[in-house]
Amino acid sequence: MLENIQTNFTNWDWVIIVIYLAFTAGVGISVKRYISSATDFMVAGRGLKTLLGVATMIGCELGLITVMYSAQKGFTGGFAAFHIAFMAAVATLFVAATGFIVVPLRRMQVMTIPEFYEKRFSRNVRILGGLILAFAGILNMGLFLKASSLFITGATGMNSEVALKIIMTVLLLLVLLYTALGGLVSVVVVDYVQFVILSVGLVLACVLSIKNLGWHNIVDTITQYKQEAGFNPFLSEQGFGWSYVVWMFFLGIVSCAIWQTAVIRACAAESTKVVKKLYTFSSLGFLIRFLIPNFLGICAFVYMAHSVELKAIFLPEGVEASSEITMQAMPIFLGKILPTGIIGLVTAGMLAAFMSTQDAYLLCWSTVLTQDVIAPLCKDKLSSKARIFTTRVFLVLISIFTLVWGLWYPLEQDLWDYMAISGAVYFTGAFALLFLGLYWKRASKVGAYLSLFIGFAALLGLDAVQKALNLNEFFKDHNITSAKIGLSTIAAATVVMIVGSLLFPDRGKAFNHEEHYKE
Amino acid sequence: MNFWITFWTIFFFASLSIFSVMAVIVAIGGYYNIRSLFKLLLAGAKQADNNPDEKQS
Repeated sequence: MLENIQTNFTNWDWVIIVIYLAFTAGVGISVKRYISSATDFMVAGRGLKTLLGVATMIGCELGLITVMYSAQKGFTGGFAAFHIAFMAAVATLFVAATGFIVVPLRRMQVMTIPEFYEKRFSRNVRILGGLILAFAGILNMGLFLKASSLFITGATGMNSEVALKIIMTVLLLLVLLYTALGGLVSVVVVDYVQFVILSVGLVLACVLSIKNLGWHNIVDTITQYKQEAGFNPFLSEQGFGWSYVVWMFFLGIVSCAIWQTAVIRACAAESTKVVKKLYTFSSLGFLIRFLIPNFLGICAFVYMAHSVELKAIFLPEGVEASSEITMQAMPIFLGKILPTGIIGLVTAGMLAAFMSTQDAYLLCWSTVLTQDVIAPLCKDKLSSKARIFTTRVFLVLISIFTLVWGLWYPLEQDLWDYMAISGAVYFTGAFALLFLGLYWKRASKVGAYLSLFIGFAALLGLDAVQKALNLNEFFKDHNITSAKIGLSTIAAATVVMIVGSLLFPDRGKAFNHEEHYKE
Repeated sequence: MNFWITFWTIFFFASLSIFSVMAVIVAIGGYYNIRSLFKLLLAGAKQADNNPDEKQS
């Protein structure tokens, strides 16, 4: 059905895309000459200043995957989905004002979160934490490629599956090439370029959407189809409710203070003062990365509701459209309303967004595996050159995994919920380790081990896992949502950390917080 | 429901306006930050050439 939908995409738009991608990749590759050590490669010599830090943080976090899942949330949840953006901004401002977790981490001069685990607990906690972090992170990025493919298909109206696969593989190879050569310096520069292009593209898309559909028409259509639940996030009809809103606040904290790709920027900042400024500015970026795509998803809903041809596909009577269909609503909408040239620019920006997120995540998980698993296993005898080589090997292996996983994993829930739950395997345990490890002197390594293992309970929030265990009907009957599973896992991880630490305190010299956290 | 419609309308347009201004500031300031980052890395590379053992990490 979707194959026959025509968009405004022409050959001129392809020309814009090719020129733009060649330029971006060229810039990424050309910075290789600035790399002289593992610190340069992994944290850009710790020389990131505020505005570049903001651009690169937003550039990384505002990826095509974010645009896709946020648009899908806007499509399915209406204006009520805006609470996700609101909560993300509030959580980031809270971290900026208090320096919660990120400032002590920067003071300890760690490159990765598991490195903190070793300083605070033990080397083995670091290795286990590194493995879990990489497992969850790689699982989390497993669908980036699939979502990006759906965007290209929708926006360009492309029919050939073979051509699509070739394009995605070429993009992946480009990302791999410049990330492997230039490390975080390449990532930072490419993210900056992407931030500029995507900011222009997204704001322009919003303005043209409002001009095309009319603000009152948008509000009226959502009111007609979704009633109050399309605006009030505390009602559960659109899949939200109180527990979901609280879960979103927690995810806001996680995204900026616990998720390794954001923390690596705090660790790469010049000083703790820069860290706080970076987070204050970035709060707007963390808001916008949800808000604009949410809005474009809402506009896509309104457009489909008024189109006889598309309404039958996207809003069928009596049944819900599948997750893969609702995810394609926004790109098809953009392909329909944006004029030739502008759609090329926006698609180029989106592809660059895919590349900048893919590069940051590839580098991040490869760095974690090298620094936190392989290097400690080799008793830190790895030279700077060997570390860079190992990181490059992991870059290739993870890229292959994302290609394969993206092809066969059956996505049966909203993409955002898949992302939140797969990430929760790591961050539920990590939250307890970071929070209690940084602010509670009695936190012990036994508590840390227990807490890390508890994180795996979050996998129950994935529809595919529920089906494999025959639990999906039970969870549905008892209204156990993925948000409730996530929140319960956090609570359980924190409780076992406290109980484990009290029952099995660390022997020997206690961790000295004051000594490690001084400026 | 009117409360939520008004709230999200103000929230959306205010956020979009502030973001547009911030994007211009970050785009200009970020460019100068990249230049100083390159200078810093080049200085580090020269130091590493002079003393190859110093920068192992």
